[in-house]
Amino acid sequence: MITAEWKPIPELVGYLRGHQKVLLLGCATCVAECAAGGEREVETLAPLLRMALAKEGSPVEIITGTLERQCEPEFIEPFVPAAEGVDAIMSLACGIGMQLLAERFPQIAFYPGVNTTSLSLREAPGLWTTRCAACGDCVLGETFGLCPVSRCAKSLLNGPCGGTRTSGSCEISEDTPCIWNLIVERAKARGQLDRLSAVRRPKDWSNSPAGGPKRMLREDLRP
Amino acid sequence: MAAPANKFQPRITVLYCRQCLAADAQPFEGRRPGQGFAAQLVLLPCSSKMQVHNLMRILEKGADGLQLVACPDNACQHLVGSMRAGKRLAYAQGLLQQAGLEPERLGLARGQGLSLESITEMAGQRAEAVRPLGPNPLKGVSS
Repeated sequence: MITAEWKPIPELVGYLRGHQKVLLLGCATCVAECAAGGEREVETLAPLLRMALAKEGSPVEIITGTLERQCEPEFIEPFVPAAEGVDAIMSLACGIGMQLLAERFPQIAFYPGVNTTSLSLREAPGLWTTRCAACGDCVLGETFGLCPVSRCAKSLLNGPCGGTRTSGSCEISEDTPCIWNLIVERAKARGQLDRLSAVRRPKDWSNSPAGGPKRMLREDLRP
Repeated sequence: MAAPANKFQPRITVLYCRQCLAADAQPFEGRRPGQGFAAQLVLLPCSSKMQVHNLMRILEKGADGLQLVACPDNACQHLVGSMRAGKRLAYAQGLLQQAGLEPERLGLARGQGLSLESITEMAGQRAEAVRPLGPNPLKGVSS
């Protein structure tokens, strides 16, 4: 899922200060799963912001809503009447949903309520860890299903490096497993350690976010 | 500015776990007057039914303080419910602090085999904690 985290409360209060009526919109998909922007979080943040703004003497009316998916235009349409009566919108969706919302209401002040942080897995209750970097040239077939691009601090394709701890953790944190250590262990368990010695063609980074804005086109699906 | 201590009668909402009650105590929901405060008792099937947004809403509605009454950590009928409730309450206190509000308005008390009188006394403990803060400044401001 796409994960996000609330921006610091003082930053959010600062955005809304001076506005009269604000629509706070959540998204019931990825950001709900990571407890940042679902209905519960919207209904927690709205009273908190109302109280903080009222306490400093600049009360703001905040109305709330949660879309099924903020990144799909058809789910935004039912909120058009509500949006037309506000002077600002704050979104708790990921950066994708936020931008679609801002595009739909270009005349209304728009603010992000969260920072979009990663493509992660809910590893355990209350713990999300990165699994994908959307690098555009997947290597999982060569690394036994473990991603070194997103899970190695250096995105090494020829690890492990010298920073692996004897415990098997990465030098950046005891809580971060060295993914190359896990790759080697899995290769050994399958009796295929020699596969890691194979010379790989250079990775195509031009299809990654570093290659510029992505535009994916499928003519067969076009109107 | 805080109201004079002798005039300020804190209004405390108490969310209490049904399992905390003594076997012979009759579950009760509603207002119970205390010495210098008023308690509004709300019965929960387990303290973990309390969500962070419930706490925010109760404060926004003007309660001067909120006391969550939960079972001891190791005596929760749902094993981890009481522990979860404690963590949620601590998280909510952190949010209030970040927002420049008073985390002391939220509190947690634990007990077992409680009478309604002892639950009301726990509300009194919260009332004493919020008395120095004065009335909830949001009373009547937020909707």
